[in-house]
Amino acid sequence: MIEDEIYRSSSQFRLWSFTEASLKQLRATTNSVASDRVRAALRRAQDARRSATSSTTGTPAPGSDAENKAAEDKQIECLTPEEEQQVVDYYSEQIIQLGENYKPPLPTIVRATAIQYLRRFYLTNSPMTYHPKQIMPCALFLATKTDNYYLSLRQFAEGVPGQTSADDIIAPEFLVMQSLRFTFDVRHPFRGLEGGIMELRAISQGQGQPAPHLQPSQTPEDLRRALLSLSPSSATANTMNDRISRAHHSTREILKAAAQITDAYFLYTPAQIWLSAFLLADRPLAEFYLDTKLGGPIISSSSTNHDQNPLYALRTKLLTTLANCSALLQAYKPFASDEARMKTLKRIVGKKLYHCQNPEKANIAGQKRIPAAAAAAAAAAAAAGESGTSESEMERLAKKRKLERGSETKDLFGGELVTQRTKERQMEGDQQQ
Amino acid sequence: MPPARDIMAHRGDDDEVCPVCKSSRYLNPDMRFLINPECYHKMCESCVDRIFSSGPANCPVAGCHKTLRKNRFRKQTFEDINVEREVDIRRRVMQILNRREEEFDSKRAYDDFLEQREEIIANLVHGTDVAKTESDLQRYAADNMRSIRANQALEAQEASSFREQQTHEQELARLRREAARLEYENERKEMLAGREDVLSRLAAGRPGDAAAIAREGHKVLLKKSSARRSEEDRIRQKQAALRNSDARKAGQGALTTADRADDSGDSGLIKGLKKIKTPEPEKPYDPFGGLIPNKRDYYTLRDHYPNSYLDPIRQDTRMQAGGYDLQEYYSRTLMEAFAGLGCFIDEEVSKREVTSTMGISRPVATQGAALAAVSSAGAPEASS
Repeated sequence: MIEDEIYRSSSQFRLWSFTEASLKQLRATTNSVASDRVRAALRRAQDARRSATSSTTGTPAPGSDAENKAAEDKQIECLTPEEEQQVVDYYSEQIIQLGENYKPPLPTIVRATAIQYLRRFYLTNSPMTYHPKQIMPCALFLATKTDNYYLSLRQFAEGVPGQTSADDIIAPEFLVMQSLRFTFDVRHPFRGLEGGIMELRAISQGQGQPAPHLQPSQTPEDLRRALLSLSPSSATANTMNDRISRAHHSTREILKAAAQITDAYFLYTPAQIWLSAFLLADRPLAEFYLDTKLGGPIISSSSTNHDQNPLYALRTKLLTTLANCSALLQAYKPFASDEARMKTLKRIVGKKLYHCQNPEKANIAGQKRIPAAAAAAAAAAAAAGESGTSESEMERLAKKRKLERGSETKDLFGGELVTQRTKERQMEGDQQQ
Repeated sequence: MPPARDIMAHRGDDDEVCPVCKSSRYLNPDMRFLINPECYHKMCESCVDRIFSSGPANCPVAGCHKTLRKNRFRKQTFEDINVEREVDIRRRVMQILNRREEEFDSKRAYDDFLEQREEIIANLVHGTDVAKTESDLQRYAADNMRSIRANQALEAQEASSFREQQTHEQELARLRREAARLEYENERKEMLAGREDVLSRLAAGRPGDAAAIAREGHKVLLKKSSARRSEEDRIRQKQAALRNSDARKAGQGALTTADRADDSGDSGLIKGLKKIKTPEPEKPYDPFGGLIPNKRDYYTLRDHYPNSYLDPIRQDTRMQAGGYDLQEYYSRTLMEAFAGLGCFIDEEVSKREVTSTMGISRPVATQGAALAAVSSAGAPEASS
């Protein structure tokens, strides 16, 4: 199918589609790497603190070091991948809320893109490393840009609750873009839904065109009659147009929330997502629509039908996939409606995440705003009375920062994959031995 | 008078007597002898007319039973009939075995081919193994009809281009001569005019200026001639460049005609021929890489879909003026409705993970990137 080929060329398929297993494994790896780093960083921080205190108070008690360390390791309790997932889900929902803060509210598609950015970002980064609170507004702001919905940064910052400055919002921008591997294209199911509804409306008015491979056997009139003879899904819908609108609306609601907060985008294609949501909204209608595309309903006992429909294999496979996707979408419950979940989340975010936040990553803005930092340092130096050297001082500081960041700039596009992987493998091997 | 006849016979080396009608040049001074490459028996023109005018007939020479046709008779080129015969055979064989050097893998193979050709010619000339050689040759000719034709055409083309080039060069030489003559004449004319001018000025001027006028006239002449010379140089260079480019173009032309398609790489008779790959006929350029832009598999696009939101746009000139086309919207929405419907990520991605080596464009790649980002930013010295 040519449409599938076109989709296969998209970055969403090439880079951001996973099987359930690989998704899980990826998150587990990200989590374990991040936890190791967090532990190491916290230990370093404590060491630094202790050495500072010890230098003032004198020699520490010998022999207590090892005990201390063991105790600390117990103390630092990192998030599990599942907990991380909860956090990301929660902040995904927060993006939807944040979008409402603006007047007019941000378009659904911008919010959906932002949510996907956030989710993609946290596939390879852990909330322990970068707090979602910092990343979330940045993802949303990035989405307004990539989805062509212009908002100035100042305007945007005003909508973000709390003491968030414009600089805070764009500080992690490059980091986010890098983690997105600079693929900003997110294929959403929304427009596809509009297309499907549009075609169903056309069919209901007798203007539907059958799919190309079914062209000779079906006429628009056939389609219309078949559509009108569908069993009514609910008693409330009286006309077909009404029913389609109803299905359209509820599908859209599912796509707006359930499809965003779950892993649907990673596991299924947009076409599959909207059709699954449609199945949830109005099963007979959706099944009818699928049949117009993939050949008539299959009577499992008759082998002739099997021969007649060349898309039989595709159809059966697709139906199971759609069923899986529907189940995934249906299982979604918003945090607000789930008291217990909200509670655990509060525990995770409020306590655990606070304690296991990587201290070295807390200040993204400070890391990124080098010129500003250098200027500040220079200004301080100037204030100290060395006004004559301020210019060279500034240069020197900038150079120093550059040198320090040398390794980072080299990895602009993510560093060498091969060495990274071999390192990882070695690490795994060491762990196994 | 036998002595006279002897003298005649000796002088004319028995060429002068037609072996068929026995008439001699003595009696018929206009007598011309003709031969037929079938048997190379020679006879006079009148005999040919007499015997073969009414269609093919047997050779009148006793013991020769070849059937000859009148149109094959021709004048003898070489005095020695054996040479004549060999040249004919050679021409025929060369026409069939007309492989060119560039068709062979190596110089060695080409040399082998030349030797083989000589051998065949020698066989035919000396009558050893004629039947076999002849049948080989025929078979080869039948098998390699196309390449033989192509090579013949090539040869003809080369010959004609050579001729053309020669006439072209002659023409150029003529033009150059012409130009040189013209130039010489001009120069002389100018010199005369200059002298005249100086004389007239001398006649008109005062006696004191004489030396100055003469010097000036000489200078003008010199300047003119040097200007002319530089101009000529320029023209000559231009022409040379033009000639070079012509020659290059001709060379390229020869090259392109040389690489023609051939049917059989190695024919049975000749060894060491280059394997000729027939180049794939170039496909028309496909900007979509095999995708047909307006072909869709899941749906058929209509010109119009009923939609209460969109229908007003059709009438709204403010929307239409900017070039907004609802058709674009229709095609895009329907495209997105089905793009990827048949992509089963669970299958395809796992397959991709298995087949891809060292994780290029793998999910792990993203992970690697992120790890790199984490590790690079995570150097404690840098961030503290």
